[in-house]
Amino acid sequence: MNEKDRQAIVFRFAITLLVILALNFALPRMMPGDPFSTISSDVQGEDVIIMTEEQREYFEHYYGLDLPVHEQFVLYISNLAHGDLGKSIQYKMPVIDVIRLHLPWTILIVLCATVLSTIAGIILGTISARNRKHGSDRVMMTGLIAFAEIPSFLLGLILLLLFCVYFRIFPLAGAVTPFAQYDSILEQAWDIGCHAFLPIVTLALAQLTGVYLLTRNTLITVSTKDFIRTAKAKGLGEPVVWTRHALRNALLPVVTRTGFVIGMLMGGAVLVESVFNYPGIGSTLRSAVVGRDYALIQGILLIVAVSILLCNLLVDRIYRRLDPRVVD
Amino acid sequence: MPVEQSVVNPVVPVPFLRGGIYRVGDILSRFSIEGKVGLFGLTLILLIAIFAPWISMYPPSEITGKSLEAPTGAHLLGTDELGMDIWSQICYGARMSLFIGLAVAIIAGIGGGALGVLAGYFGGAVDEIVMRTVDILMALPSLPLLVVISAFLGPSIANIILILVVFSWAKPARIARSQTLAIKGHACIAAAKSFGATPFYLMRRHILPEVLPILFVLIIGITSYAIMAEAGLAFLGLGDPTSKSWGMMLHYATSFRSIYFTPFWQWWLLPPLVALIVLLLCLAFVSRDLEKVLDPRLRTSGGL
Repeated sequence: MNEKDRQAIVFRFAITLLVILALNFALPRMMPGDPFSTISSDVQGEDVIIMTEEQREYFEHYYGLDLPVHEQFVLYISNLAHGDLGKSIQYKMPVIDVIRLHLPWTILIVLCATVLSTIAGIILGTISARNRKHGSDRVMMTGLIAFAEIPSFLLGLILLLLFCVYFRIFPLAGAVTPFAQYDSILEQAWDIGCHAFLPIVTLALAQLTGVYLLTRNTLITVSTKDFIRTAKAKGLGEPVVWTRHALRNALLPVVTRTGFVIGMLMGGAVLVESVFNYPGIGSTLRSAVVGRDYALIQGILLIVAVSILLCNLLVDRIYRRLDPRVVD
Repeated sequence: MPVEQSVVNPVVPVPFLRGGIYRVGDILSRFSIEGKVGLFGLTLILLIAIFAPWISMYPPSEITGKSLEAPTGAHLLGTDELGMDIWSQICYGARMSLFIGLAVAIIAGIGGGALGVLAGYFGGAVDEIVMRTVDILMALPSLPLLVVISAFLGPSIANIILILVVFSWAKPARIARSQTLAIKGHACIAAAKSFGATPFYLMRRHILPEVLPILFVLIIGITSYAIMAEAGLAFLGLGDPTSKSWGMMLHYATSFRSIYFTPFWQWWLLPPLVALIVLLLCLAFVSRDLEKVLDPRLRTSGGL
């Protein structure tokens, strides 16, 4: 049963991955436009072809675009197996290097946002579950639910207008101050933190309510269980009962959700990074789409999709470890 | 309301749709304050959308003033960089956002719901195919794919609706299926079958009334998802360039080079931002209350 389950899960992941690979390969090739019309033009959207037919053929051959489609696909898969994602036409370097350059920024804000939203969500959820009979809880819950309905990029725009434009507390764009010289590593970390703060908060706020509601609901369910009554009966204080007994049992679904949250955040980062002009993988995807950089789009989609799938798989594993009931 | 059903199976609660129009008042009276506010806001936006040509003083895509005028009596919300009236753009943009949202939601909700009912009712290969597709669709990272696919299909309203439908029919299908499976086991179905009811009759008479309220709530949810996604895509520059949706307004305003260093954002960027947030909040309030009133079971059994 267990083995069968695991096989089914792996099989589903394999199918999903295959779909992503196929989409990934097919979509950019069907897009309107031509990578060589922007390569030769300084103005975006204005197709100036200054290459001769020979130069064009040379470049098509260089990037492997003159092969039949199925050969391109086989080439694509075999290159992938070698870790070669192709060459970016815009950046004029291997896609893997472009991704390596931008992915750390995205990972930084996504991970920080995940940690922040999970911790804040658990704390707020616990407070809310404890006060659920007071009127204040209803206000908090309605407020947070309403908050969750604002999409992250709109929230980001509000924060940007408020803190960067109106109050001028945080920098407007980028991940580091351009041309800055740092005296110490601490100063550099401070600069990076200042730039990353608002994107992280935006992403975290967008996921906060999900974690909060889940913690609150499971806590309320758990708190009606017999062992909670026992714990209270043997004279344990409220804080100990809530944290040691109730919360520990309520955290399982929250752990599962974390994987889901990371996936959502990777997707949401595309828009939020564009709002803050943050040089992560999301902004790169946007510029790749504008510049019809086939290989780069494929590479980014693949990285994003695979990391989301891996997160789900990993969480599934962790969940099995944490909850012995799942195994049998 | 057939009497036989409640006699055969008294457990099944009375579906709301059987009551007719007079129950609308009943449903409304059970709305919370937020729900009523949401409904009011939604009605207001709907009215703005319908009467856009009458309440806006200028056509939205015509140059009627100087570039980037501050709000005055002549231009209620000022003008954008090309000298087009922003209040008019907001009015017509409401049409665009609501149209895209509703179109996606209705197609995805009804189509997905129908597929779910069929999958749940017939089971076997149909079920397998539909549910595996749903699984894959739900595992795919929707936003990056939305960006890439809409770039590849080319920006037009029809394409945006099409893509959003593809990415949003999975949830209604899944819920309609689980609901159908739950009803299929009831005694009333067996009884009706033994009286010679055809599958079509069973679906229309017994399954649809149970599934519809849930679908209705889901459709409102998908509407807000679609409005949000359209605004997001438009914001990235992947919207229909000929349309003036609120997302496109955000795109033009944020693409303006020195928008954050000038006071222009106050009347160019803020109105579409506020309009979108108000619309999404109103939709959320209404859908939450409808969910509570129409189907208390969704909260416990839906679990998505």
